[in-house]
Formats: sequence, C-alpha cells, structure tokens
Amino acid sequence: MTLAARDLRWGVAGRMIVDGVTLNAAPGRILGLIGPNGSGKSSLLRLLCRLRNVAGGVVTLDGRDIAAVPRRELARRLAFVEQQATTEVQLSVCDVVRLGRTPHRAALASWSEADEAAVDQALARVGLQHRHDQLWHTLSGGERQRVHIARALAQEPSELILDEPTNHLDIQHQLAILTLIRKLGITCIVALHDLNLAALFCDEIALMQEGRLLAAGAPEEVLTEETIRSVFGVAVAIRPGVSGRRHIEYLIDVPPFAVVPAASSAA
Amino acid sequence: MSHAAHGPNWPARIGAGFLSLIALAFAIALAVTIGEMRIPLDTALKALGNGLFDLGLPVSPIQQGVIFDYRLSRALMAALCGGSLAISGAILQALLRNPLAEPYILGISAGASTGAVAVLILGVGGLTLGLSAGAFIGSCAALAVVALLASGAGGASDRVILSGVATSQLFNAATATIVTTLASAEQARGVMFWLLGNFGGVRWGDLWIATPIAFIGFGICMLHAKALDAFAFGADSAAALGVAVTRVRVVLFVATALMTAVMVSIVGTVGFVGLVIPHAARFLVGASHARLLPACLVGGALFMIGADILSRVLVPQQILPIGVVTALFGAPAFAVILYRARRPA
Repeated sequence: MTLAARDLRWGVAGRMIVDGVTLNAAPGRILGLIGPNGSGKSSLLRLLCRLRNVAGGVVTLDGRDIAAVPRRELARRLAFVEQQATTEVQLSVCDVVRLGRTPHRAALASWSEADEAAVDQALARVGLQHRHDQLWHTLSGGERQRVHIARALAQEPSELILDEPTNHLDIQHQLAILTLIRKLGITCIVALHDLNLAALFCDEIALMQEGRLLAAGAPEEVLTEETIRSVFGVAVAIRPGVSGRRHIEYLIDVPPFAVVPAASSAA
Repeated sequence: MSHAAHGPNWPARIGAGFLSLIALAFAIALAVTIGEMRIPLDTALKALGNGLFDLGLPVSPIQQGVIFDYRLSRALMAALCGGSLAISGAILQALLRNPLAEPYILGISAGASTGAVAVLILGVGGLTLGLSAGAFIGSCAALAVVALLASGAGGASDRVILSGVATSQLFNAATATIVTTLASAEQARGVMFWLLGNFGGVRWGDLWIATPIAFIGFGICMLHAKALDAFAFGADSAAALGVAVTRVRVVLFVATALMTAVMVSIVGTVGFVGLVIPHAARFLVGASHARLLPACLVGGALFMIGADILSRVLVPQQILPIGVVTALFGAPAFAVILYRARRPA
C-alpha cells in the first residue's frame, strides 16, 4: 500500500468541503477521481499532498502519517501537478523541469550530474527533449501540461497526484496526456471530468459528491447508469466499448429523472 | 552541454565578481571626485589613504573632511541602500508573484518612515538605532496591513498592489499627522526634506548599522534562492516542491522589512530602485535567484551611486533629493513594465 486516507475532513468557513473520505491508492495503479463540479476533488487532492492541513482524519504514506513527514522529504516521494498553473517569470522548459529537483538539493548545493540526468530523463519521458530551451509562455496548453508532468517526474516520486491534467486541452492532447500517465508505472491519483476517459484509463475509480465518497472500485462497478444519473443528473446508456472498456453514451432526449412534464404543470 | 550554463561555473562566477568589484570601485572613485568642490583624483586618493590606513599624507583638513567623511561615506551608503532596496524588490516580486511589487509601491517604505518619524518627533532618542528600530516596527506594521488587505481581497497577486497603494496612503497620512500636529516648524521642514530621500546627512556611524544589515539580509535571501525559484508557479506549487512556504515567507518578509527600514531610517524613502533594478538584472542574468540576487546587489549599488552623483550635478549649486532622481528613471520604467505585463498569459 502507498497513499491512503482515513476519514478525511476539511472545510472552510464552517462548510465541509471534504467530509469523511476514506481512500486507498493501489501501488503502481491509476486511481481516477470523478465527481461533479464542487464535489471536493481538488480539495481532497490538496489534502492528500498536504497542501492543506486536515481538520480531521489522517493521510498516510506507507502507513506513516504525512503530517509528521518533513515537507522536503514528502516532496521527494509525492509530486503534485496543479490545474493550469502558469507563471509571469521568463522561464525556459528546462528551467521549469529543474524546479522538480528542489526537494533533492540542499540550500547551497550546486547542480549535480544526478540532477541533470533526472531532468533529461523527465523531459524524454514526456517527449519534449527538443523543447529544452524554449520559453514557457510560447508553449501550447498541452505542452505546458507535459512540462508540468516532467517537472513532477524530476522529483522522482513514487506517487503522483494530478488535478484535472486534461482540462482545456483538445481531445488529441487529452489522450496523449493520459496515455503518458498510464505508461509511467507509478501510483497515480488523477482527477478527471470526462467519464469515458476515466473508464478508459483508470484502474480504479472513486466517485465524489458533496465532499463524500460515494463509491470506489473498478470502473465497471462504479460507473453504472444509476450512479451517473443520480450523481451527475444525466441519463446514460453504458455498454462495452471496442477497447473492452466501458463506453458511456449520454442520452439527451431522456429526462434523467421521472420529472413531471412542463406542459401538464402549466395546465 | 546544458549543465555548463547551470553548473558551478567557477571561472565565470569569479570573473563576474571581479568585474563587479572593479565597477563598484570605479563608481565610488567617481562619486568621491565629483562635487561642488573640485578635488583632483590624486588628492582624493591620498585622502582615502589617510582615512583608511592612517598614512599621514599631506592633504588639507578641509579636503580630507570632504573626501573621507562626506563623499566616501555618502557613496558607500548609496551603494548599500541601492543594493538592499533592489534585493528587497526582487524578493517581493518573487514571493508575491507580481512584477510591480517593491518596498516603495507596497507602502513598506511609507511604514518605515512613519515609524522613524514617530521616534524622531516623539523623541525616543535621536540615535540611529532608535530611528532604525522605529522604522523597522513601522515597516513590519505596513507589511502586516498589506498582507491583511490583500488576503481579505482574495489574495490574488494583482490585489497586492492595490493593497500596497492603500497602505502607502494610510502610512503617509499617519506621518503627515504626526508632523503637522506634534513637530516644530524646523522639525517639520527637516522631516519633509528627509522623506524625499537624502544622502546629505550620512555619517560613518550610519554605515556601522547599514553594512551588517545589508549583508545579513543579502545572506538570508541567498540561502533561500532555490525556494524563491520554486515560487514561480505559486505558493501551492512551491509547497509541493518541498518548500516550507509559511516559514520562508515570514523570514524573507521580515528580512525585506528590516533592510528597507534601516535604509529608510538613514536615507529617507527612495522609490523605484527596487522595481527597476530587479527587472534590468533579470534581463541580464535570467530569473534564477542564485544569480539574480547578487546581480541586484551590485546593480542597485551602481545605480544608486550614479543617481547620487546626478543629484549633485544636475542642478548647479543645489542638491536634488535622491528620490526625485530615482523617480525620473523609475517612473518611465514602471510604465514600460506595466505595458509589458498586459500580455495575456
């Protein structure tokens, strides 16, 4: 076991955002986190990498409470890719990836061969070696996301947490990013919006609603017509896709619930 | 290939350090020889020798006093002040992620002057240490107000500047209130002149305080150079990279407030150095703080010595306040940065 959460609670201004979540990430597998907007996915991810302090419950890494792990040590184990993080600073691609070496370097240590190797390898894994010296603000959205993933990989983590890494990307880049994540072979927890992509790429899926974890398990167990209708409020038909994974088709003419037709209420 | 540019390139570092020292020595030599009283270079060098090493060379006491006690202390103070303010600007820009952040615009200088004026007028003691301590309390208070306003307004980086403007106004009003209600006419005139920035009153005693503060501040900032780099994508990103965000922020904000406060208590409020120099330095050496901060130290020092020389020669028979000279350069630079920051992300 790697990263686990037990009965996590966190809120702002008296409102619970994450309410009693218990979760286990299996080693080397991809855990997809899905749920409607505002269901607490981003907050949960931030609690898992201790960017926020839990109000209740505990996050453990190999059984050890992460609140007791020094932040630098934690960053050598656990990397986080934020949603759409950008900067005004003039940085090149390799400058950004180099930031991933921060937790491995002492305050006055100079740049080492090991650091350089980790950066080169991270860039190669996301396929951006040739963009080494390109400036950050000239990159496309998909390239920026890949650079962020390379930065996270330069941390040499064994657990990677990604907050909607496919947001605002076209479908080609969405697939490219998720294929890349699948190939990493490290434990990943990734928040996703697209249910089909979640079904296609995740080994396990956790479904959140209003801060609570409704279901967790294999995609075919979690993604059912009933759960999707009740959580997302859309009618769907689910059948096996060509890939062998489940395919979710949205039914726009079918009302998600047995609502009273508008005409009859007018009469 | 690439690690040549980023590894411990000692020849380049030593070369840059050596060039910086030569440039600084040259600037100080210029500052010591240029002025109302025409003093030839060889006399100036003799006076320096007498002052520093007690050589007993023949120099008239007046010239000796002008060169050593007046112009040299003034030039060194200008160097320390410029370097400290430029570093403070670079730190604030990195931590607040706003290219317009600097001690003057954020009201930290205003807070420091309120604190110093309070000590001066309320008479806790005219000693520099008393003034500096007052200025430090004032600058920390201003920083706290900015932080409170900015976080109350949602904490976005553009709110910080608005909060700074408000804080600046608040503390300037406080200073004006203290001066108009409690100061004598003569005190008021002195305070107003000092507020605009003025190296005229600098004596050796001031350097004994400013020198350690400038170098300790620089050292603390250099120790945090890598952490500062990690703030490029925001505080959460820095935290995820293993930076103890709260501790680093507190340490560096206090260091910035301290450097600003000590310089303001000696020299008065000098604007725009903290804004212009970091941007110019970034243009020359890049965004990495391990190179940016030393470049700011040297660049700020050179800029301020130059500004001080200009303030003495621009208008014959008269010394312009140093803040006026820096603003003449700083305001257009501010406009350029504002214009460039328009670029959509």
